Amino acid sequence: MLRRGFQVAVILGHHGTLPGATHLLPRFNPASAFGSSTESLVSRFCQEMTKGKNYALPNASWGPDMLSLYHEFLEKTKTSGWVRVPSFRSNRDHIQGFKLPLDLSANSDKSDWRLFTRCIEREGQGYEYVIFFQPSEKKSICLFQPGPYLEGVPGFVHGGSLAALIDETFSKTAYLSGEGLLTVNFNIRFKNLIPLGSLAVLNVNVEKIEDQKMYLSCVTQSRDQQTVYAKASGTFLQMHLEKDSSRQ
Amino acid sequence: MLRSCTAGLRSIWALRGRREGAPRLSTDLQPARRLFSTEKVIHKDWALPNPSWSKDLKLLFDQFMKKCEDGSWERLPSYKRRSTQESEDFKTYFLDPKLGEEERLSQAQLFTRGFEDGLGFEYVIFKNNDEKRTVCLFQGGPYLQGVPGLLHGGAMATMIDVALGSCTGGAVMTANLNINFKRPVPLCSVVVINSQLDKLEGRKLFLSCNVRSVDEKTLYSEATGKKLPLAILGLVSAVWGFFCLGRGGVDLVF
Repeated sequence: MLRRGFQVAVILGHHGTLPGATHLLPRFNPASAFGSSTESLVSRFCQEMTKGKNYALPNASWGPDMLSLYHEFLEKTKTSGWVRVPSFRSNRDHIQGFKLPLDLSANSDKSDWRLFTRCIEREGQGYEYVIFFQPSEKKSICLFQPGPYLEGVPGFVHGGSLAALIDETFSKTAYLSGEGLLTVNFNIRFKNLIPLGSLAVLNVNVEKIEDQKMYLSCVTQSRDQQTVYAKASGTFLQMHLEKDSSRQ
Repeated sequence: MLRSCTAGLRSIWALRGRREGAPRLSTDLQPARRLFSTEKVIHKDWALPNPSWSKDLKLLFDQFMKKCEDGSWERLPSYKRRSTQESEDFKTYFLDPKLGEEERLSQAQLFTRGFEDGLGFEYVIFKNNDEKRTVCLFQGGPYLQGVPGLLHGGAMATMIDVALGSCTGGAVMTANLNINFKRPVPLCSVVVINSQLDKLEGRKLFLSCNVRSVDEKTLYSEATGKKLPLAILGLVSAVWGFFCLGRGGVDLVF
């Protein structure tokens, strides 16, 4: 169950149009800032849900490459502290009992709204992926098998769809590593095209955390690391979620 | 420009090593073109209003359609599957005919057009040829969520990639994309992406765009990108492929 000692908080001031992302910075007591340890975030965020499908599990569309690497990492979750990050249809399912800072919850989130990278239901047609996180090193690995609905250049993955999955992996890593919530900068350099149906491996690292911002990097490559598909970097703004007192 | 590049491709016959790892030489390819499905399919143009379009989106669409009347602007049609000459050529030259993936690939469809009405990307692009810029009207649907209630950063990145691409002349691939997000976009709202070609350096296209609210008062993000015509990929691959036998791929450093 959710830990009770979680810090409530942050009233997000409504800022005007300041340059950069500073207008989104909440006013709060710096001493209490982001006290949630990676451990507590993992335990809260990575719970298996009793209802709601967990998409971070093998299905019939997963090719042998994807399966074997998945099992390798599954072993590591037992032996060396890796965590398999559950993946739900909506991020709302991850943050049960909590809500976004006031300024961001302008739109009521409807139940049929879906996480972008889980938008294509049909197995094997869109994003097949699973993220494993290593809390002690603040890094993750995402195994990605793109389906035919992610096409850009004929036969290959749409650059935007890869960018979206990198952003998503950044997002989960950033949150678990220190409540990084919103992307403020995203940079991607494409090196090689990924063929649809093949396995790509995303290696994400938190490079540093400074001034309420987390800096992450990602290298997307083939399993044998012989082909680098893309390199990316992202900056995330750290933000507390408020406890939703309207719920039990 | 693209036609001459395609003609160049025909004579070079480069095939980048894909699934098996080793780049192929021209001698591995059949001299005759592999036939794809030749049925005449009537392709639906998705860059037109449908019932899921909000009032804002329809209003802006009408405004821009008016601008098209004198020919200064044109609406770019948008299809789910590409069956243009260019994409068929690309498939023929870059895919391994022996791997039998044709069936799976025939299911393939353009990522941004793979959703039912209103659920994913609803967008239309208008191009001003004189000024070398485009305006993309975009409404992100409920399947593009990131943080609850907000548009996923990656969905925005995808649209920025599409919008920048619309400023280019033909089939291109993205080399770089850099996006600064200023404010999150509420899901199901309409934004306007203004893109332009900043400069052309040889074959490299440097582009930039900004994403604003309909009333232009809110700046959601700014981005720059670099794209390359697909043909250059073929030329570089041909040279590298010859010298790098056995390597899994070519690291294209631009």
